[in-house]
Amino acid sequence: MDEIEVSLTGSGRGPRSEVLAVGGGNSCETVRSLLPRGLLNSCPAGVASCPASSCPFRSPRWPRLTLQESVLLLGPRPTPSAMEFSELIRTGRAQAKLLRGPEVPPLHGTLCVTGHHLLLLPGPQATSDLWLLLLRSVDSIEKRVSGDSGTITLRCKDLRVLQLDIEGVEATRDIARSIEALSSLESVITSFPFFYRPKGLRLGDAWHFHPPERYYKRVARETNAWRLSEVNEDFSLCPSYPRAVIVPRAVDDDALARCARFRQGGRFPVLSYHHAPSGTVLLRSSQPLTGPQKRHCAEDEELLWAVLAGARPGARGFILDTRSAQAAKQARVTGGGTEARAAYPGWKRLHRPLERGRPLQESFVRLVEACGYLEQSTDCWRSRLEACHWLGHVKEALSTACLAAQAMEREGACVLVHGAEGTDSTLLVTSLAQLILDPSSRTVAGFQELVEREWIQAGHPFQLRCAHSAFSHARPKHEAPTFLLFLDCVWQLGRQFPLSLEFGEGLLLALFEHAYASPFGTFLCSSEKERCLCEVRTRTHSLWSGLNQPKEQRKLRNPLYVPSPLAIWPSVEPQSLRLWQGLFLRWTRPNLQR
Amino acid sequence: MEFAELIKTPRVDNVVLHRPFYPAVEGTLCLTGHHLILSSRQDNTEELWLLHSNIDAIDKRFVGPLGTIIIKCKDFRIIQLDIPGMEECLNIASSIEALSTLDSITLMYPFFYRPMFEVVEDGWHSFLPEQEFELYSSATSEWRLSYVNKEFAVCPSYPPIVIVPKPIDDEALRKVATFRHGGRFPVLSYYHKKNGMVIMRSGQPLTGTNGRRCKEDEKLINATLRAGKRGYIIDTRSLNVAQQARAKGGGFEQEAHYPQWRRLHKSIERYPILQESLIKLVEACNDQTHNMDRWLGRLEASNWLTHIKEILTTACLAAQCIDREGASILIHGTEGTDSTLQVTSLAQIILEPRSRTIRGFEALIEREWLQAGHPFQQRCAQSAYCNSKQKWESPVFLLFLDCVWQILRQFPCSFEFNENFLIMLFEHAYASQFGTFLGNNESERCKLKLQQKTMSLWSWVNRPSELSKFTNPLFEANNLVIWPSVAPQSLQLWEGIFLRWNRSSKYLDEAYEEMVNIIEYNKELQAKVNVLRRQLAELETEDGMQESP
Repeated sequence: MDEIEVSLTGSGRGPRSEVLAVGGGNSCETVRSLLPRGLLNSCPAGVASCPASSCPFRSPRWPRLTLQESVLLLGPRPTPSAMEFSELIRTGRAQAKLLRGPEVPPLHGTLCVTGHHLLLLPGPQATSDLWLLLLRSVDSIEKRVSGDSGTITLRCKDLRVLQLDIEGVEATRDIARSIEALSSLESVITSFPFFYRPKGLRLGDAWHFHPPERYYKRVARETNAWRLSEVNEDFSLCPSYPRAVIVPRAVDDDALARCARFRQGGRFPVLSYHHAPSGTVLLRSSQPLTGPQKRHCAEDEELLWAVLAGARPGARGFILDTRSAQAAKQARVTGGGTEARAAYPGWKRLHRPLERGRPLQESFVRLVEACGYLEQSTDCWRSRLEACHWLGHVKEALSTACLAAQAMEREGACVLVHGAEGTDSTLLVTSLAQLILDPSSRTVAGFQELVEREWIQAGHPFQLRCAHSAFSHARPKHEAPTFLLFLDCVWQLGRQFPLSLEFGEGLLLALFEHAYASPFGTFLCSSEKERCLCEVRTRTHSLWSGLNQPKEQRKLRNPLYVPSPLAIWPSVEPQSLRLWQGLFLRWTRPNLQR
Repeated sequence: MEFAELIKTPRVDNVVLHRPFYPAVEGTLCLTGHHLILSSRQDNTEELWLLHSNIDAIDKRFVGPLGTIIIKCKDFRIIQLDIPGMEECLNIASSIEALSTLDSITLMYPFFYRPMFEVVEDGWHSFLPEQEFELYSSATSEWRLSYVNKEFAVCPSYPPIVIVPKPIDDEALRKVATFRHGGRFPVLSYYHKKNGMVIMRSGQPLTGTNGRRCKEDEKLINATLRAGKRGYIIDTRSLNVAQQARAKGGGFEQEAHYPQWRRLHKSIERYPILQESLIKLVEACNDQTHNMDRWLGRLEASNWLTHIKEILTTACLAAQCIDREGASILIHGTEGTDSTLQVTSLAQIILEPRSRTIRGFEALIEREWLQAGHPFQQRCAQSAYCNSKQKWESPVFLLFLDCVWQILRQFPCSFEFNENFLIMLFEHAYASQFGTFLGNNESERCKLKLQQKTMSLWSWVNRPSELSKFTNPLFEANNLVIWPSVAPQSLQLWEGIFLRWNRSSKYLDEAYEEMVNIIEYNKELQAKVNVLRRQLAELETEDGMQESP
């Protein structure tokens, strides 16, 4: 008899956890009967039935929701009589055979769809355990029916392809429809992390491991030129920044407010990394809103001047724009632009175009497509690999990060990185530069802190970027594998410096999977503001507490790790970069022993 | 001829050496009959000790009185020497050119090399055909040793002793030899003990345009089949190429005359194409343009990995016929000295666990490459930097090593040797102080009296101090057939060979060391655990004995 833990929330508060026995006769019904019902009744913004104490939308501290935000949080149809999961589940169970690839024996059993999972309960004679798939991880679904049975092919966001052979045409159709509907639910607060209550973990743990305050303590030990500002306490200045940010001590909060108005999305320049050995800093922001009239902002100029003044004496600065000079110029038409040279003495602008948005997503899609064709000639594979340009993007990202790191360590210069919004390629560059320079970010804890600080807190819109992976047929809107590109670059670093990273490929693979679909709340939402609104920190478990359990740690660590205080300069020659087989060929080539 | 005649300037001071991964160093350059030596003057230590025979091509450049010689080695390394004085530079360059292209084999370094180590086991006698045959004869009596080629008269590229079907006498073998290209009549290459199936190899049959037959050939090939069994003839040429070969007197086995055999055609490129592929690949690897598309494009255009795939696919097919279909096979292309040997030797790596051990792999090289008459002297005379359009050069052996590396990469625990072992073999095939890879076949090696006059590579490699460098710490004997994946995604460029001089392997080497340490430590702990367990068991039995009375 197997045990799985199914957790449920009563009415959106006070989660309780139950252990459910599976494996007996009518366990399917048992699972279904435990489905959360009426969850949404608790809280669409300001509805009277909402218990004030737990509703995030009542508190006067919270700003009003924009339409986009409410769609994001509650799904496209936030009606008071919100639908229940059970409405989406048409067939509770069916007999099915699951094929998981060429090397794994098929599983037979009873298939059931629950609110968040696809379950396969093996028959009484079977020895294998219950098989479970998070519906959120389904990227695309394809069904075929022939005779009195059907086949459903599920392509998952972690690039796995599963095939289900199901008895009964009607059952196949119903299950396919249910999976389709449930896997594409957009509402955050009905997603599985809000129901997941694993044994051995306590809610609220690990969420406070890596806030900006913690990083500031380290910076404050090294230099006196920076302060922690809570100017964004209520997220009104910059909705995509966390509450606290690190800024030059010489600049007060009023000046920051004015800077924020001069930068797209309010993302004024903040500290990303302080490089103590050279006394220089890495900053990030979004593009300045110079517009066609070439607007200036005295506070913004003063802020960057204060950065140089606070750094080692005589430090120069580089503004690293992740767009081409051409693209940056064109951005003026739509109100954006770049820093005028005359207005920022001591700063020099460099342009290093990095691919973003849709072209990056298309590159990812084409690469995954190429990896799927096993029966092809070598020529064909090489030309597909070349045509998708993925490795080119890896190379560009690493080169740009090297440039930023070099400017700091070798030239003793301060570096400000931004592109347009400052939430994608900007973060790619700042986080990679830290891995190159900062030995502590190459430890397991340090890398988790880096991901938390430079991606999650820094406002990389995970909810939008990772809504779909490479198999989705839908036209990409906001999807882009920027975070995956980051992980790939880290993998390349690990391959070139096998002793220098405390974590192994396992951690990178885990982060990839969890960024796209996860039982944990860490990668939910697109900004701290949204996470606060959804009470992610109090109502879901943190991935970090999940990963930092001793039994998980073993899988994630690099046994060869030897701490080294030096910078690691990767080779970015095309010959030195490799396809990340462990990720892209993970499911097609399981027999790679190492 | 005296070497001294070729060395006009034996010594130049103030030469600056640039080479991969080391800072430039200034020193004195000396030329000897076989070596180019650079020693820095400060502490009189050698910075460079390079065999002339390792030099593939040289370029020279002048800027004012300063001359520069760029030396491109057969192991793909590129070294630069800055030599003050135009005359010295010209002299050195012409000496290197002459000394690196000596015509006479007997002037090569192996004939002059005297080992500094004690020879424990003479490698020339490590792998005798009789011993190899004993491994089979315990399992089968269907085969015999034949001395028909004792004088190398029947087949000049075969060794004096070959293994043939027992019912076929030497007279018949002589007749078959006249019907096969280069006299290479079908001989046993591998006996699969599990089911008694065999791999044979030969040259193409000389059917010609009028479809000549040879009764003895048909009888020989059929004699290898057990009653009611079928066999496969794997031709390493496409059907089209095989048909065209008839015009030049060659051809293939007609199915009508070999009714129990099915012919399969698999196209593996012939050696001149492979040489071009190598040249393109090495050019691409040295490309400094830092452009990802260009690199991938050039890598693809070299077709190197396509050749790897073709060879591995054919080897897998051969192994499949033996292990899965339970059928014997005969493999040949045209001469039977290149692609044929690639396929027979790789099929053995797949099928035979012994050939994945160090000793077994050496025996395989000895049997399937050296004794089998792969023309090393011709194929490895020049490497990827050679400008002159030579006719016979081809990286056939390197491709084989690359294929082994691909399998090793996919099955990292199944091989007793590591990547360094393969790299070492590559280096010695092209330039060596040992006599093993000299000559094109056994007949030539006999005439050169290599056994008496030179040292065998195996005498050096098989000493414990050397072996430790080549042993794979992950090795766990695996008695199964190992099936490599030949999907293009699974095949990778062999960085250890092709990017060896472009990118430092310092960190990878450190990681390797660390891995070895961890494995050693693990073994120690295991040993401790075993001792403690034994002690516990002893204490328990003692307890038991004390309690029981």
